Amino acid sequence: MTNHDLNDGSAVKHRHRHEGPQKHVIAFIFSIILTLIAFATVAAGGVNTAFTVLLLLVMAVLQVLVQLGYWMHLKDKGHMMPIVFMAGGFFVAGLAIIAALYWMWW
Amino acid sequence: MAHAHSVKRHKGLMDWLTTVDHKKIAILYLIAGGLFFGIGGIEALLIRVQLAKPMNDFVTAQQFNELITMHGTTMIFLGVMPVIFALMNAVVPLQIGARDVAFPFLNSLGFWTFLFGGLLLNLSWVMGGAPDAGWTSYTPLSSTTYSLTHGVDFYTIGLQIAGLGTLIGGINFLATIITMRAPGMSFMRMPMFTWTSFVTSAMILFAFPAVTVGLVLLSFDRILGANFFNVEAGGNPVLWQHIFWIFGHPEVYILILPAFGVISEVVSTFSRKRLFGYSSMVFATILIAFLGFMVWAHHMFTTGMGPVANALFSIATMLIAVPTGIKIFNWLFTMWGGQIRFTTANLFAAGFIPTFVMGGVTGVMLASAPADYQYHDTYFVVAHFHYVIVGGLVLGLFAGLHYWWPKMFGRVLNEGLGKVEFWTFIIGFHLTFFVQHFLGLIGMQRRVFTYLPNQGFDLMNLISTIGAFLMGVGVIIFLVNVAISFKQPKGVAGDVWEDGRTLEWAIPSPPPEYNFKQTPLVRGIDAFWKEKMAGNTEMTPAEPVGPIHMPSPTILPFVMSVGLFIAGLGFMFTSDDFGNSLLNFLFSNYIITGIGLAITFGSMLLRSLYDDHGWHIEPEEMNDKGVKA
Repeated sequence: MTNHDLNDGSAVKHRHRHEGPQKHVIAFIFSIILTLIAFATVAAGGVNTAFTVLLLLVMAVLQVLVQLGYWMHLKDKGHMMPIVFMAGGFFVAGLAIIAALYWMWW
Repeated sequence: MAHAHSVKRHKGLMDWLTTVDHKKIAILYLIAGGLFFGIGGIEALLIRVQLAKPMNDFVTAQQFNELITMHGTTMIFLGVMPVIFALMNAVVPLQIGARDVAFPFLNSLGFWTFLFGGLLLNLSWVMGGAPDAGWTSYTPLSSTTYSLTHGVDFYTIGLQIAGLGTLIGGINFLATIITMRAPGMSFMRMPMFTWTSFVTSAMILFAFPAVTVGLVLLSFDRILGANFFNVEAGGNPVLWQHIFWIFGHPEVYILILPAFGVISEVVSTFSRKRLFGYSSMVFATILIAFLGFMVWAHHMFTTGMGPVANALFSIATMLIAVPTGIKIFNWLFTMWGGQIRFTTANLFAAGFIPTFVMGGVTGVMLASAPADYQYHDTYFVVAHFHYVIVGGLVLGLFAGLHYWWPKMFGRVLNEGLGKVEFWTFIIGFHLTFFVQHFLGLIGMQRRVFTYLPNQGFDLMNLISTIGAFLMGVGVIIFLVNVAISFKQPKGVAGDVWEDGRTLEWAIPSPPPEYNFKQTPLVRGIDAFWKEKMAGNTEMTPAEPVGPIHMPSPTILPFVMSVGLFIAGLGFMFTSDDFGNSLLNFLFSNYIITGIGLAITFGSMLLRSLYDDHGWHIEPEEMNDKGVKA
């Protein structure tokens, strides 16, 4: 880190800085915790099924967010286009699922 | 620095089969699109001949079903889509100051898969019968129970392969427009045609996967005995309608948006004014794309989705009239007070505006669910969608072709003939389709192969047929005009209309292989016009003259598409009895399919293992003789 700053000096200020590994370690631990919660809930048994399904879904969504944000770098600058297009994809796919669920004739 | 390794330059046919140059691929798209447009047009004329008088027996009911199915499918997927891609290929890289598209290899692959998909579909005419379940191919009509020939298989497999090409093309243009704009060209400085191409490509990206899935399900139902749409086995035919229209409705906006872009360019150039309300145009384009994904079920009001769904889709559909209206008024205000020149291109653009408005108005009428119960499946619907697709898109494409023809081929189309063509075509168009509104309102159903006399249908059907032939004459005049234009020597002025506003007019016609000797610096909207107003004759360069890196020509995309063609044909006939044990063995064991896929994947492997670094055009080559495009 410091080497970079010394070398660049007056050069391009906004160049890409390498993050330390801390954030990725935290993200990794977080991913594992999410996975463990999901497995533990099912393994423990005796938990209300509806609650289990809901919890699994919440864990899955958080997991996806961690994966995309940290490992696919979507939280970093310059990733606006991928985010826009992924959101578009979710939107269209979501509509299709809603249609299949509610707007068939039976 | 520059490696002077040369590239093998192909000549003649081989040059066209191996090219990865976006300008040549544009011409290939135009030729192929024109060919299929001609086939679809002939089918349309046969349909009109059959309907010219009551109780006609020019074709049988089965042939009529095949004709209407192939007319719709061919025109949408194989006629207008490639001509749109032709214009996008010819113009978008030039408008953004790029030397090619982002993935030249994929560009070529997209064209060849489209072509072989289209050829496969049309082979059905000579291989046991064309598809006959309508271009929408609704189940259960398209199931093996009701459609016994291989027609619908040609539809599913052919469109699957052609659709692959469209998807590849769409992704390519997204990447090109996002990453390859010249320095200074921000998104809000992009020419309108580039904007609409961008939004259309995004819609292709989201809409085509739906039809890909639908076609896979339908071909599995038909060929492998699956039951996705089979009620007896727990499937649901309405699922097909949803999947088809989740794709199908965005598809019509995929078609019309590029035409909006063409009209914006043409109207602004020939009014000598910048486009009125540029930012609202961009906003309207994006809004149309967004709303376009939320209205598909207005094709299904009568399936019984219930009043809530019908009301929602009704309102969403009517909402689309708002951004479309913004566009119409912007074009009118662009013309207002401008120094208008009615060249052929501008005539087509001016003809587009009122014609498209008429199609839009009937669209809002159809959006009203209660009224739609009356209009549904009548000629009123046929009139509506021909007004927006022919009166909108095709007029837009003709405007674009006349406008960019000099840029694509270095020769201008004859203005006099062009005007005759315009008047013949547009009068023929209104004769054909205007009366169909009333035919629908008095009760003539669409897709009927004949009708009884003295129901009030006779005269209007005859008028419609006469109009159709007039449109045919208009197209023939266009072809004559094209033939005459090729008698001229190549090489008109770069800024041939003298009022060119965007970057493509800053370079020679036709452009050299590398497009821009130096990447231009864009200093505002309508970049070239801005330089001209500042007293410059050419763009300010953004880089020194240097060797230009070019992609190598390759035959692989062609071979890959041939492989897919063979695989598709093999897959279709897996359960047929040919009365020949060898053929039966080859087809039923997927050996033909396997050979086709081996060719395709083998080519992909070859492409992956063999590094192709391309080649360079040196500055001396550009100055001395120029590199021929």
